[in-house]
Amino acid sequence: MSTFAVIARREIRLAFRNRSALIAGLIFAVWFPVMTVLGIAASAGEDMAAITAGIATVTLPVGVFMGYLFCADAFLREKRDGSIETLLCAPVSLRRLWEGKAAGVAVPAYLMSLVSAVVAIAAVSTLASAPVAAEPLLLLHLAAVVPVWILAAAGLIGAAQLALGMRENQILGFALIFGFIFLIVALQGVVPGLSLTTEAILAAVGLALLALARFIAGKVTKERIVRTIP
Amino acid sequence: MNAVEVRGLSRSFNGRDILRDVSFTVGHGEIFGYLGPNGAGKTTTIRILLGLLAPGSGEVRVLGSDLAADDDARARVGVLFENNGFSDRMSAADNLAYYAGLYGIDDPAERVDELLALVGLTDRRDDPVGTFSTGMKRKLGIARAILHRPEVVFLDEPSSGLDPGAQRMVRDLIVELSRREEMTVFLNSHHLDEVQRICSTVAILAGGRIRAFDSVANLTAASGRPAVTVALAGAGDRAYEAVKSLPYVTGCDVDGDRLHCTLADPAATPDLVAALVGAGFRIEEVRRSSRSLEEIYLEHVGQREGGA
Repeated sequence: MSTFAVIARREIRLAFRNRSALIAGLIFAVWFPVMTVLGIAASAGEDMAAITAGIATVTLPVGVFMGYLFCADAFLREKRDGSIETLLCAPVSLRRLWEGKAAGVAVPAYLMSLVSAVVAIAAVSTLASAPVAAEPLLLLHLAAVVPVWILAAAGLIGAAQLALGMRENQILGFALIFGFIFLIVALQGVVPGLSLTTEAILAAVGLALLALARFIAGKVTKERIVRTIP
Repeated sequence: MNAVEVRGLSRSFNGRDILRDVSFTVGHGEIFGYLGPNGAGKTTTIRILLGLLAPGSGEVRVLGSDLAADDDARARVGVLFENNGFSDRMSAADNLAYYAGLYGIDDPAERVDELLALVGLTDRRDDPVGTFSTGMKRKLGIARAILHRPEVVFLDEPSSGLDPGAQRMVRDLIVELSRREEMTVFLNSHHLDEVQRICSTVAILAGGRIRAFDSVANLTAASGRPAVTVALAGAGDRAYEAVKSLPYVTGCDVDGDRLHCTLADPAATPDLVAALVGAGFRIEEVRRSSRSLEEIYLEHVGQREGGA
């Protein structure tokens, strides 16, 4: 098994054993989409396109937030307790370590965002009596756009958590998560609804963010990480 | 080629010199003790050797390589920091298996079981590490550090937080590894007794500089003041009066029936014994004294602190 797979698999297993993060994530993944989508359904009435677009709108920030939630364990905890130092001595490049961890964070975050989508669809279908069809664009959104954004968020937040001290991380963590959500809201304001154009723009911005995350991670050094261990 | 080479190493943080022109070498298969007070720069040295920090100036090599740039060379080196490097939520076996995967170990399950048996944790193999005591985590940390059979292993305070029994187990394990696997051990420790017992060579670091670097035997013997302790069958005070003015006795003290004499020359020990016997004293034991590593350490660190 490649070192990338070894690292990613471990982070996935740890995420599913992190009871507090799972509970917090599940609460958010259920509460936020249900409240939001029911609000959208109430105002959209019988407009199924608007409801489907609302579901797509909700899953993206949920996925990004889940990435932030699981990053705290994969990157920040290891830095706070110093175990990252031992990992840095392994015969694995820093980039590979970052890639494996970001991927390992992205998998549970993505699954949570799928749970969120299913819950939102179920809520609208039952509570608002408006059955939601498996819209191909919604499936494309969930299958392609959401994972790219989650990877980008996990990569950027993870790189920042490796590079910064604890106090800076507290501030920047919130700044990054709100920055992501603001960007999502702004993009959906520019290209509203669920269309191929919207998905193409969201995917392109997501890929650009992923490239930015990769670039920033490449600038992080072991010295920087070790010197910011508390 | 030495296992570890440090030449003219200097490093400063925020304008403060942490290491100043540090040089030493560690031979293959040696157990090397790196001593110094808190803040002396020991951990900084280890971090530079492991490629985690860049040297300000000077050169470091481990197994002839710069570990900062050479991923393959890092596979030949093991490390145990104060943090053991485990996830508390994973079991002992899973934690070791994770590192086995990172180091590309063939048949990791067998090696993990072998090491758990070595450190006496077989019956806890599936328990989360978070439920372990400090000593158990430390033992598991040592198992992790040697999991991939490294040629050089860096141990940072391996005995800290351990009870005397566990300390002894760790000490015996280090000696065994050095002997059986010809592993070079770089030991950073505050346990001077432990270092004196198991290390072949030591370096004492204080104020960012190497204050002493030699074999333990040379350091403890090279006091320049050979000393002898003579246990008598009574009459210690009279014996003291008899020997204190002998020409080769530079200092003498009495403690009950024991005489502690420092001599001008170690070869004068038989003369001292002959003088005591000739004066009618009965001798039960004669022992040449050497200074402990603790005395030598305090002398060097004390000098530094006094001069600072």
